[in-house]
Amino acid sequence: MGRRGFLRLGLAGAGALAAPSVLAGCASPASPSGSSSLRVWDLFSGGDGVLMDEMLATVTSGPDAFDVDRTILEWGPSYYTKLAMAAAGGRAPEVAVLHLSRLAGYAPGGLLEPFDLDVLAEFGVTEQHFAPAVWERAKWEGEVYAIPLDTHPFIVFYDKEIAGAAGLLDSDGELAPIGSPEAMFAASEALAAEQGGTGVLFGHVGDQAQCWRMFNGLYAQTGATWELPDGGEPRVDADAAVRALTFMTELFDGQRNPNNLDYAGAMAAFQGSRGAMIFSGEWELPNLRITDRPLGAAPFVQIFDQPAVNADSHSYVLPRQERVDEGRRREAHRFVATMLKASYTWASAGHIPAYQPVIEEDRYAELDPQASYASASEVAVLDPPNWFTGSGSNFQNQMTQPMSAALMGNMSPESAVEQMISASQSMLDDPNPVA
Amino acid sequence: MSTTASRANAPDDSAISPSASTPAPVAGRGRTRFTGWVFVLPFAVTFALFMVWPIVQGLWMSFTDESLTLSGTDFVGFDNYAEAFADPDVWSSLGNTVFFTVITVVPLVVVALAMALLVHSGLAGQWVWRLAFFAPYLLPVSVVTIIWSWLYQPDLGMANQALDKLGMEPIGWLSDEAFAMWSIAALTVWWTVGFNFLLYLAALQSIPDQLHEAAALDGAGAWRRLFSITLPQLNRTTALVAMLQVLASLKVFDQIYILTKGGPNNSTRPILEYIYDVGFTGYRLGYASAISYLFFALIIIISIAQLRFFPRQEG
Repeated sequence: MGRRGFLRLGLAGAGALAAPSVLAGCASPASPSGSSSLRVWDLFSGGDGVLMDEMLATVTSGPDAFDVDRTILEWGPSYYTKLAMAAAGGRAPEVAVLHLSRLAGYAPGGLLEPFDLDVLAEFGVTEQHFAPAVWERAKWEGEVYAIPLDTHPFIVFYDKEIAGAAGLLDSDGELAPIGSPEAMFAASEALAAEQGGTGVLFGHVGDQAQCWRMFNGLYAQTGATWELPDGGEPRVDADAAVRALTFMTELFDGQRNPNNLDYAGAMAAFQGSRGAMIFSGEWELPNLRITDRPLGAAPFVQIFDQPAVNADSHSYVLPRQERVDEGRRREAHRFVATMLKASYTWASAGHIPAYQPVIEEDRYAELDPQASYASASEVAVLDPPNWFTGSGSNFQNQMTQPMSAALMGNMSPESAVEQMISASQSMLDDPNPVA
Repeated sequence: MSTTASRANAPDDSAISPSASTPAPVAGRGRTRFTGWVFVLPFAVTFALFMVWPIVQGLWMSFTDESLTLSGTDFVGFDNYAEAFADPDVWSSLGNTVFFTVITVVPLVVVALAMALLVHSGLAGQWVWRLAFFAPYLLPVSVVTIIWSWLYQPDLGMANQALDKLGMEPIGWLSDEAFAMWSIAALTVWWTVGFNFLLYLAALQSIPDQLHEAAALDGAGAWRRLFSITLPQLNRTTALVAMLQVLASLKVFDQIYILTKGGPNNSTRPILEYIYDVGFTGYRLGYASAISYLFFALIIIISIAQLRFFPRQEG
């Protein structure tokens, strides 16, 4: 066979290979019964990823099984870039996971489709199953664009024995209220003395969100709000912000507690019993419980006037598709409802299920230490809503940078807050790319 | 660089082509030319598709408010450029890039030269030195940053343990604004100096021995020969190395993005990361393109300046 003949054969072969997939492409819309696979994007790796696998295993077997084609992408700014691009191009998956704090960057730009609440209700999920604060954030212009799977707050983990010896536990063996900066300093010193090491650990160096997570809760505890009205000026109570940040710099001043730990370093110090308490996201529960320490947990401590805890929520969304297959969309609704009902499994990762019937189950109350901080979702504070805020956003990074510098003593709390406000202003000044 | 390379090759090409076409009659010339084009075509198409077209497209984009999301595209003239000139973050991140370039180019040229001279001086175990100096260059950026993030680790890292042994206070290598960029520069020198070392070594080996012999006969000592023969003979290589290095350092992104994400407090954020932040995390492709083109213009100016100021001929 000559070279030309060989090439021709190759082309024919390629055509033959392509043909079945073309046919398959035609076949899928014709089978609305759910035989075609549901594409789902999520950002769960590590311990979360394993649990998500477990939950998917339960919903992909049995008579009403879903055929799920799962894509795991790494959490971070790039996840949201990919999701936005896929939705903008109209070739997005049927279902995706989105942090609720990012909704304002997605729904107004038409990157998401609203859920059909009637269809969801058919599968047993309605508004009354969610905490009102979380449900409100899932709406935009009256439509529901996200169905929360969980709430994941920034909390405290501590060593129960040491906290008990330091006299910080109440009669139920839970962390007693603290209530003021001075009481927190005293608690930190008592913990340090009992630990024979560090009282409170917090890793922030080189991290793009940690300082904001702690600050956002503390600032809300003062009763103030960080408002970012579109096209306007940031409405911020600078005094309250300085108050919150000053407390952070005093608790982590390099003397009382270390101010130079990075995220992994703080985790390692707690795992290695070199510190008695750690400020961290609850998603670290699987990593922290593998040690032998008697692990306690509580919603983030109330230092100022009212309870408030920084949190976010993994939620399911329906990204925009150019050509919507009604059968698959209905399946997407059924999938979301089914996953929510199976979210007891999800709680073992530490996340608080957003679907209230799961929390009300007796077996959830027995989950230790998850049940100790379940109340955090009632006082959850998310990022101020705007297109540029939310999990993995440049906003969190730009807020965190000056605060991190202040903690390390390179900047005063006053000038850090000034920089945070001016950064907010400059982001508000940017033309809104999704409006 | 590419100009230098094609100039160097030019004489060879002209030497080959007449002999290649001599056997063919005049009528065959057109055919030869056509065949040549066919060979070039795959690359030309790829080049046009993936280099020329994106460059043109990007330039167009910089005059629009193109976003990653749906809101449509409007022509905005020079608005993006005006905004970039007034954006303090553009200037501060550009300053970081230029600072990084200054503090890396000098050691990357000087250290590479010193290492090449040492190896060329006839140290025992040539291959060990060559391998040791060049090996880091073969590592991917992810590996390099993992190694160095452990060296720089505040508690357990070797760098701080060494300081501790010397009785000095630990340093926040990546967390202190005063040190972070220098730490990244040190890592970069370790990582990439091997390539320049190799260029210098090759150049050293191509200096004719007679020059050294003649100078030695005339009574020139080792230092005199270094400054009067070796270094002048290396001029052209130095120009090449410096030029490549300036361009490489201006492009810094990966190791900074992985190690510090531009922190602490944006003190290591290079302009490429700012472009990335604006374009991909902020969705503003139009504005990001405008900053890219300003940076592109700067690179062209620097390249032209280098071509003018550095010697291109030996001696």
